[in-house]
Amino acid sequence: MAKKPSLGRQKIKIAKIQIKNHLQVTFSKRRSGLFKKASELCTLCGVEIAIVVFSPAGKVFSFGHPKVESVIDRFLARNPNLNSTSGLHLVEAHRIASIPDLNMQLTYMLNELEAEKKRSETLDEMRKAGQSQFWWEAPIENLNLHELEQLKDSMEGLKRSVSIQANRLFAENSNAMSFFGTNNSTNGVDHYDIKPVAPMITSTSSSAAASHVHSYGYGHGLF
Amino acid sequence: MTRKKVKLAFIMNDSARKATFKKRKKGLMKKVNELSTLCGIDACAIIYSPYEAQPEVWPNNIGVQRVLAQFKRMPEMEQSKKMVNQESFIKQRITKANEQLKKQIKENREKEMTEVMYQCLTGKGSIANLMLPDLNELGGLVDQTIKDICRRIESLKKAGPGKGVVTPPLPQPPRPQAGAVGGNCSNGNSSNASNEMVARNVVDNVNFVGGMQRTQWSFTDWMNNPCDQQNMGLGPGYEMVPFVDQNHPNPIWPNHFFP
Repeated sequence: MAKKPSLGRQKIKIAKIQIKNHLQVTFSKRRSGLFKKASELCTLCGVEIAIVVFSPAGKVFSFGHPKVESVIDRFLARNPNLNSTSGLHLVEAHRIASIPDLNMQLTYMLNELEAEKKRSETLDEMRKAGQSQFWWEAPIENLNLHELEQLKDSMEGLKRSVSIQANRLFAENSNAMSFFGTNNSTNGVDHYDIKPVAPMITSTSSSAAASHVHSYGYGHGLF
Repeated sequence: MTRKKVKLAFIMNDSARKATFKKRKKGLMKKVNELSTLCGIDACAIIYSPYEAQPEVWPNNIGVQRVLAQFKRMPEMEQSKKMVNQESFIKQRITKANEQLKKQIKENREKEMTEVMYQCLTGKGSIANLMLPDLNELGGLVDQTIKDICRRIESLKKAGPGKGVVTPPLPQPPRPQAGAVGGNCSNGNSSNASNEMVARNVVDNVNFVGGMQRTQWSFTDWMNNPCDQQNMGLGPGYEMVPFVDQNHPNPIWPNHFFP
């Protein structure tokens, strides 16, 4: 499924946007980007900031470091030495101390995301290469009736093989389990593999199986 | 202008930090300005730095005071509803990145499974290497693919009976052969030939013949591996798919596990 490519970065005139929908979308994106830049500035340079923004609908968004209120108060009081009540300092300090950690976490996540996106591109290339090399790898819409029938047969053969192998694995696991006892997971057999009921893929049922199969999600238990 | 990725941490080098501050502060002010103009909304920015006693503001002192007054006029709850500080903001970013990551991983997994499916189909990949969860997922994908193919077949049949019915046997996707050297060799040679295949075009009888020529290698492969046992009496040249082991002419089950 190909995603419709976006327009990309385009130079725009800095004047009020006429189309309401565009205006709202722009506000949403740019506000988010603005806060991101402010956050980065705080992290990189250790400065105090407050930004207040009213949305086209009249809602108010604000970003502040260490806190919106304290920066505003500081500004309004116009006395740089005047701080908020000292009792709050400790709470502030705790909160602020967690920021470097959070930044590291964020950096890690963003790096992982980038890696996955790269992987996605690689996989897309593989798919493209396959499609141009082998007729059966082309999108289904491109195949004619005869080819479709052939491919269907091949696929059904594959399905049979998969189901047989799955049953075989399941039987092996069951045997191992009964030999060592259900509590023992040290024989290298992963409980995750055994626990679900027998693999539902059989050569006979097709549509019924499909829905069952999907329930054995291979979860990426990351988070 | 650096396009290097900047580490998201306090800049220890004083002069580098000051230089970064100047640039980014300028950029930030520009962004606030643009946001305000493009969307016709009120906004203000206040930046305190160690470099100057007075804060840097946008649009100006009066403008800031006006916006702040507007802000304070709002009910407390409205003020704090969309209020964030560094901590909460970064947490929000982490959550969003996490969701995007999970989504991307899932998408990649599906794509990967598609590759595995095609590889197993042609014997380049072996099912024997897969564990149960992967096997289940693969089975699901194959099932779904079969469904899609059937649906397409139906719609083609409805569209026009003359269209897709052709007589020349189509070269099949090469089937994985266990053991037999001949089978493996031809597979090996053919993959080189197949790399030269041109991208196919769409439904066309003429294409059919062209297709045969282009995929000549697999046709040869098919020719080299008669599988009478699998022939369900549909006529010469039309074969069922699997996966016949040369060593076991009457397999109990299809054997396509080969190292």
